[in-house]
Amino acid sequence: MVEKVTGSKGDFTVIVRKKARYVNEDLCTGCGACAEKCPTTVPDDYEMGLGNRKAIYRHYAQGIPSVFCIDPDYCRTFQGKKCGVCQKICQAKAIDYKQEDKVLELKVGAIILATGYDLFDATRISEYGYGRLANVVNSMEFERLSSASGPTEGHVKRPSDLRDHNLIKTKEKSLKKSTRTLAKYEKKHKMSTADFYKQFTAGNISDGDEFEKWVKQYENVREATRKLEELKARAEKFDIATRLAFIQCVGSRDFRFNKYCSSYCCMHSIKEAMMAKDHDARTEAYIFNMDLRTVGKGFEEYKVRGAEKLGLHYVRGRVAEITQDENENPIIWYEETTSQEVKSLTVDLAVLAVACEAPRGIEKVAELVGVALDHNRFFKTAPLNPLDTTVPGIFVCGCAQGPVDIPESVAQASSAASRAAEVIWQSTIEYGESHWKKKNPE
Amino acid sequence: MQYTTDIRVIRIMCTGRMDPVVMADAFVHGLDGLLVLGCLFGECHYVSGNFNARHKINMTQEMLAYAGMNPNRLSFRNLSSAESGVFVKHITDFSTEIRELGPLGGAADRVPLPKLKENLEIARTALAGPKLRWVVGKKPVFMDSGNKYQEIFTEHEINRTLSGIIIDEMATHSILAALQKKRRAVKDLAKELEIPGPDTLKYVLALKRRGFVELDGVDGTSPVYKYKTEEGMC
Amino acid sequence: MEKEEPRIGVFVCKCGNNIAGLLDVEALEEYSRTLPDVVFTQWNLYICSDAGLEEIKKGIKEQNLNRVVVASCTPRTHEPLFRSVCAEAGLNGYLFEMVNIRDQCSWVHAGYKEDAMVKARDLIRMGVAKAALLEPQEIITSNVAVRALVVGGGIAGLTAAISLADRGFPVILLEKEKELGGMLRSLYRLAPMDMDASEVIDKKIKEVQDNPNIDIYTGATIDKVKGFIGKFDVTFSANGTSKDVRLGVVIIATGAGNLVPEGMYQYDGHKVITQWELEEKLKAGKIDGNNVVMIQCVGARSAERKYCSRICCAIAIKNAILIKELNSEAKVCILYRDIMAYGVQNEDQLRKAKELGIRFVKYDPERPPVVNEDKVTVFHHLMGKEIDLPQDMVVLSTPLVASEEAEKVASLFRVSLDENKFFLEAHVKLRPIDCATDGIFICGSAHYPKDVRESILQALGAASRASIPLSQGEVKIEPIVTSLVNKDACRGCGLCVALCPYNALEIRDTDEGRKVNVITVACKGCGVCAATCYRHALSINSFTDDQMEAQIHSFLAA
Repeated sequence: MVEKVTGSKGDFTVIVRKKARYVNEDLCTGCGACAEKCPTTVPDDYEMGLGNRKAIYRHYAQGIPSVFCIDPDYCRTFQGKKCGVCQKICQAKAIDYKQEDKVLELKVGAIILATGYDLFDATRISEYGYGRLANVVNSMEFERLSSASGPTEGHVKRPSDLRDHNLIKTKEKSLKKSTRTLAKYEKKHKMSTADFYKQFTAGNISDGDEFEKWVKQYENVREATRKLEELKARAEKFDIATRLAFIQCVGSRDFRFNKYCSSYCCMHSIKEAMMAKDHDARTEAYIFNMDLRTVGKGFEEYKVRGAEKLGLHYVRGRVAEITQDENENPIIWYEETTSQEVKSLTVDLAVLAVACEAPRGIEKVAELVGVALDHNRFFKTAPLNPLDTTVPGIFVCGCAQGPVDIPESVAQASSAASRAAEVIWQSTIEYGESHWKKKNPE
Repeated sequence: MQYTTDIRVIRIMCTGRMDPVVMADAFVHGLDGLLVLGCLFGECHYVSGNFNARHKINMTQEMLAYAGMNPNRLSFRNLSSAESGVFVKHITDFSTEIRELGPLGGAADRVPLPKLKENLEIARTALAGPKLRWVVGKKPVFMDSGNKYQEIFTEHEINRTLSGIIIDEMATHSILAALQKKRRAVKDLAKELEIPGPDTLKYVLALKRRGFVELDGVDGTSPVYKYKTEEGMC
Repeated sequence: MEKEEPRIGVFVCKCGNNIAGLLDVEALEEYSRTLPDVVFTQWNLYICSDAGLEEIKKGIKEQNLNRVVVASCTPRTHEPLFRSVCAEAGLNGYLFEMVNIRDQCSWVHAGYKEDAMVKARDLIRMGVAKAALLEPQEIITSNVAVRALVVGGGIAGLTAAISLADRGFPVILLEKEKELGGMLRSLYRLAPMDMDASEVIDKKIKEVQDNPNIDIYTGATIDKVKGFIGKFDVTFSANGTSKDVRLGVVIIATGAGNLVPEGMYQYDGHKVITQWELEEKLKAGKIDGNNVVMIQCVGARSAERKYCSRICCAIAIKNAILIKELNSEAKVCILYRDIMAYGVQNEDQLRKAKELGIRFVKYDPERPPVVNEDKVTVFHHLMGKEIDLPQDMVVLSTPLVASEEAEKVASLFRVSLDENKFFLEAHVKLRPIDCATDGIFICGSAHYPKDVRESILQALGAASRASIPLSQGEVKIEPIVTSLVNKDACRGCGLCVALCPYNALEIRDTDEGRKVNVITVACKGCGVCAATCYRHALSINSFTDDQMEAQIHSFLAA
């Protein structure tokens, strides 16, 4: 975390707080034994909350360095409970609960801001039901659902089914516990619960606190079993989500939120639809768009191939509302522009192609380094010096300057490096010259 | 992630490295299955290595099948390095397929051991030879920019040519191998190698012309040939 | 050089419990001792720990080991470390072989201890068999001539040249036309910065001309290119004289051309014109008549030319706005298929155009507009009927097409073009500025149609990529490359040269006849050449046929 920036082009001082990871980077071999044994399960941000991780974790498998860290907000040891499992299991002796934040002072000649972007919060468009309807997800959540290394191993499951599946698991667990309690009563009174219940309801057994409890417990178990069966029956009906709707321009090209076009979402949705189709040939994908902006190299060809070879449906029209049916399947309400009729389409999963927004906290970064933001909250640049911020020596690249796709981000990163290198080169020369002048006055 | 203990991984830089001789040699030594795993087409880490690999593996498969081995023992499959699930699926599938085929030279192969081994050795020699290597090597060039007369060939046309060469090469090297063991008349060679008589004569005369075999007297009315040298063959 | 007998040391790692949790590492160590050429074995809790690494060094020194096998984790993370440790102890790092009994064995076969032990023994045996055949290798280094060539003097080439020159690198800038400036010279005003194109380009040209590190050659043609990264030898002629130069890196910025839509929509260059011709009229400040109809995707996104040219919608919008600003009475209508106003600025411009009353009508490529004498008829898909738009001028938005020079430049530098004859990048996502051939970079519309801002961005990126070998002064590469192991066998047929995706092979006339020469600096070690050579003259260091066969044989020898 950057805490303070002072100085100017060619000579900045940056104070950085390196947060404690509670794992010694030099000793950790990245083997993962700790995470396997860690008793605390935490919703995984990387999986957009669709999967779980442990309190000791790596953000994702390919991260560099391949070293684990402890999340003190969840770790039992940091929460004052008894644990220390990871420390016991780690043969490399890398766990260090006492590790502290380090404050680093960096002397740099130039600064590159590559703070990326955040997704538009789709709950702001209430008519699309995101957050309210289980099977309306955003594009990044869909990315995890369709990823071979994601929480569903690439099988596109409806979140409602994932939820039901988890529910079944917890209910089964608690039912098992309740059944054990019943068994205790049975053992104690040497009578089967069914017999007892018959006798009790017939009034043959006089009341008593414990019998009341037994009855209550039995009735609860009966109800819970019924509900569980219901849930299981419902869960059985659904498998893979094969009817998919992709809704474009969610929070982009929208006067209420962001007027700009987020550039990459058209291609992203086409790609996601292609991947889903590739994974399961039954997939029918509908992409609701205003314009399909396939402006990069090979993009238009890709889009045409999606329609011609894989049968993707590109539907022109802005979606008005999303509702759901009794099976929690989203219903897409839209006006088909060609017939000007209001139509609806029921799908298994609706995917919102949410806008690329300047990241939360960008104002703080801007204030810290003293650069200006533009009216869309991205770092302000000039068209002919597209990576220069308003402060000399500070550059920007990637989505921090506005929405761009991967190749452009990569190209911009090189470009920003070039601008930074120019500054450093020049200040080195200037330093050299002044040094030389100092040594050789005249 | 868990998977079958059936596989042993050998690291290569790129599937383009897979030499037909190495693949054939593995089966000569009794391997039951060889799976080549590489990048997805269009995503080759080495630009076009996997396309080259595909040409070579297809040819090797055809050659080994012609030698009597079940071609499914050699397979080329593709995945990206981030797809651990796909990796597991590929090797699980392949292991199941090979277990169904059983050991090399069993019921699943057209020719049983030990004859199969002999055939595979001949196939290996043919795959090391210049003809097949030259054509399969030129395949991408012929398909892309054409031969020196700017004639561009379809994959189908080249494959047809390759199939013809496979048959010729297998026959030629079988004859050489047989003659190397002992001198023979053409009609005996034809009978033993199950190659039609006229074809056998054609191959023998071609070998004679190239100096690999020579006339070694006449038995009754049949001229008898013997092995001379294989120098310059490859 | 006489070959010494292999003396192999095998080190087996427990990796804490990662390996030892399933496999009996001590039994594996014992087993290793029975393998051919193995003279020393040892197990360790963590071989990668300082103590473990010391043991390897000690083994090499005290046991005179000349090959080391470590059975542990993945070479992806640990091979460099173990190689360097061997080197520290005086053993060539390439006499080291790694066997993966963790990721490929203990981790993935939980619960199958017996089978996993069999597999681990096999893997170690295979590694030992390969190790016995390993040869020492040396890191390959090659000097880099500190000078860059920029081909093309448009906005991209100029920007790249300035960026490199400003870092102190000498640059040679070649432009085929008589003057610098490229496509921007024929444009009027640029959006969204609202500046004169000539003003922008003149400023850049002046910067280039004033920069002492840049040598400019206009009217130049490239005659011959030889060499590879660090040592490109280029012969070019300019103004009637020929010049030979040696360059470390090359940036290709040859731009693109305009499609002339002959035979489409009654194109005549007078009343039916292209956007580029409109720019000239705008420059002159004279637009005849009040009714202007623009048609998008003329000759693009069609069966014949499939790609979208990216910038034409933005150009049409910009010019429509300029017409409105020149003559507020003008009625401008843009007939489009999808309005590609991507990003922040373009969408802003689109909104501005709509506010100015510019009309946008979507047309269906199945029912394209028809241009008549004084009107354009188009099927309006919302109204479901044909409408007539009066016209005094029709402007056709045609795509940028690959430069006529592209094929020649590509074949000179031996780099690839894509199906539309734009220059092909090494990786569409991760290496968008590099060519597959090291030391050659692309920027601007030579790569794909780009607006001014994007061209500048990419040019700076190309300069950045190009500056890396220039500032390092040398290229260093892993010696896992092709080598001509049997020079006598090579007949210089050139089959390998044709298949090499990196231009790392060339045929040379030598005293012994035509022979292949491996440009090791350019080689990436894929091995296609070795697997193809019908004379078996080529091999890949550390991945030879013999070594692979030895691995298979030793596996089967169980």
